[in-house]
Amino acid sequence: MTARTTRSAAHDRRATKSYRLRRAATPYLFVGPILVVFAMFYLWPTLLTVGSSFFTWGILNPWQTQSPAEWDFVGLGNYGETLADPTFWNAALNSAIWLVVFPALVLALSFPLAILIWSAPRGGGLFRTVFILPMTISLAAAGVVWSLFYNPDPNKGVLNAVLSWFGLEDLSFTLGPLEFHAGRWLSDPGVLHLGFADIRFVNLFIIVAAVWTFVGFGVITFSAGLTSVDAELLDSAKVDGATQLQLVRHVIAPSLRPSVIVVAVISIIFALRTFDIVYVTTGGGPSTDSEVLGMLIWDQVFQFLDSPQGGLAAAVAVVMSALMVVVSLPYIRATLRGRS
Amino acid sequence: MSMKPFARRGRAGAAFAALTTVALALTGCSAAPVASNSDGAPSGEIRVLSNWSGSEGEAFAAVVAGFKAANPDVVVKIDTVPFDQTQTTLTQQFAAGNGPDAAIALPGIVRQLSAQGLLMDLDGLWDEWVGAGEYNDSLRAIAQGAEGKAEAIYFKGNVNGLVWYGTSKAADAGLTVPPESWSDFETMLDSVAKTGVAPFSVGAQDVWLPTQWVDPVLLNVAGADAFGELQRGEISWNDERIVEGFTVLSGLVDDYWPSDALDTGFSDETCGWATGENMFGFNGAFVNGIVPSCDSALAPGDDYGFFTLPSYANEGTPAQAVSGDLFIGSKDTKNPVATRAFLKYLGSVEGQSIWAKRGGYIAPNMKVPSDVYPTVNDQRAADLWPKDEAGVAGYDLDDWIGGEIQAIYRDALVDLIRSGDVDAFIATMTEADTRSGDQ
Repeated sequence: MTARTTRSAAHDRRATKSYRLRRAATPYLFVGPILVVFAMFYLWPTLLTVGSSFFTWGILNPWQTQSPAEWDFVGLGNYGETLADPTFWNAALNSAIWLVVFPALVLALSFPLAILIWSAPRGGGLFRTVFILPMTISLAAAGVVWSLFYNPDPNKGVLNAVLSWFGLEDLSFTLGPLEFHAGRWLSDPGVLHLGFADIRFVNLFIIVAAVWTFVGFGVITFSAGLTSVDAELLDSAKVDGATQLQLVRHVIAPSLRPSVIVVAVISIIFALRTFDIVYVTTGGGPSTDSEVLGMLIWDQVFQFLDSPQGGLAAAVAVVMSALMVVVSLPYIRATLRGRS
Repeated sequence: MSMKPFARRGRAGAAFAALTTVALALTGCSAAPVASNSDGAPSGEIRVLSNWSGSEGEAFAAVVAGFKAANPDVVVKIDTVPFDQTQTTLTQQFAAGNGPDAAIALPGIVRQLSAQGLLMDLDGLWDEWVGAGEYNDSLRAIAQGAEGKAEAIYFKGNVNGLVWYGTSKAADAGLTVPPESWSDFETMLDSVAKTGVAPFSVGAQDVWLPTQWVDPVLLNVAGADAFGELQRGEISWNDERIVEGFTVLSGLVDDYWPSDALDTGFSDETCGWATGENMFGFNGAFVNGIVPSCDSALAPGDDYGFFTLPSYANEGTPAQAVSGDLFIGSKDTKNPVATRAFLKYLGSVEGQSIWAKRGGYIAPNMKVPSDVYPTVNDQRAADLWPKDEAGVAGYDLDDWIGGEIQAIYRDALVDLIRSGDVDAFIATMTEADTRSGDQ
């Protein structure tokens, strides 16, 4: 009896242990496939990029992990060279303009638009569709559309046609550090001389085109957020005599803080990795006025074949990625906080 | 008992291995193109990368059709990519080990691919051609790879630096063309500028267009020797002859270009002078075939023509600026026989005559007769092509240098157009191009 009880207890312990193991392993079985995909298509390329940034190589003779005899190790040389290169800083400045202006414009336009649509007594779905439609167009196509819009010939470019009606097509002025030339939107629209750097306005006109395609994302996100605004709180505020502006500022805006973080961070990431719309509209030009970091990497890998710069491009990519992680932290934190 | 699962697994594994082997073998059989027939004639399939579209694409397709007619067992698949993405596409494909069998290329990329040992050796073909007087050594030099071997063929030639104009508009303005001297040329341009419209239509938004202004002006002002030395990296950009050349160019830009040049593309440039908005265009011979797309009623020769720049220093005819497209063959092609046959056809009198008959094209092969060209403009342009060893020509600097220096050159040129600051341009290029060691 005692022996049977002991055996039974041991069996139960084994069964419990096995059950615990199975239970502990089950989530990993479900997550495993996606982890494998992540490791293959995200982790491994990331490690390769970081690793290759310590070597000199070109696209036609790439750095390969299995050929150590052919490695040309330069340590942190590529990072040093990148940080000392004026071309990098020019691209970094242009990317910084994107980083600040693009999210700001997306937020500034999509937030009020979403509220206006939300408050509209009817037709909200129609308005949302109108603003979301540009999202369905690829950025390359949007670049082509806006290049036509900016065409300097008033017979082709809508913007210059409007200016010519008012006789402003040749408007050009200098105001202190500011130079402005109307009509030359993608070639030489002007510059703001800051002393330590020049802010080229051609970037702003490309950003406007990108905002046109992206503002729908903000409208969708804010519209979704608006559904969670406490109706009782709104009614109370109205009863207390709050104006529309006060309602937005003190009731709606605080409720939309998570949406603001989502739109801001996604916009920042989009801005930092922008490439296609710049490539289509100006190709990074004129000269290097609109060259962003993504284009610099592309040039270094695919254009500069005579002076292999794959390692430099990898270094720029690593710096860019680090920056992206830093700016994404608020979003990640907010997401994790929401889950907990 | 316990062996059974393993035995089953073993049988399954063997079956899987057998199936895989058969599948691989079948795939291998179907994927490998047949190199040649039993009689040695080319056969199988080749993939060719080109970047011509529109009328030029149709002309190239006609040449390919001619090759197919002569080699009925060869299937030619043409991949067409946008002009400005040719280098990227080619680089990506070679880097991925999936290079085309044959591809269009410019001298800069030919040297880069050659340096990596990726190109087919075509010295044998060139020996035949030069021996038969179809090409000369200076044309062969343009097709050379990194180690002096010919690793490309010269398929499409072009003469640059032609001042295009509408005949009736020039006559209405009382212009005497061609001007006999540089001062006559400037007087003529000044008279046009006084009307309030820029004399030239310029599409500098496509950066290769302003680069086509540089070569004829440099060849004319600095001379063919200095041009060649700069191209080969034997002198620096701050050489006084080169500086003078760019100073003259900058003066032309300031005085005779429209203010919206950097907003205007190639097709608008051509139609700008062809339809009479501006008096002149400055471009290569190939625009002769583009003009009908602006106005199909315009007849070459009768309605529009060209003249070359008069000598800057009144010292005889300046050296001719030329450019053109090469074709390379992949060293690792699975079908070397058909690829080589295709390249040989592209370099031949027969192949080049097909496009020459259509116009907008200069045959690099010196044996292509002048009478195949369809219009008087094409014939006049073809006559400018160097025909013998004595003919002095300067190959397109931008296409020749390639790589990072080319990218910096293009950016600096745009800055020069905007600012007119020749010193800044020369300083940028002197710093960027360190080949001469004279920094």
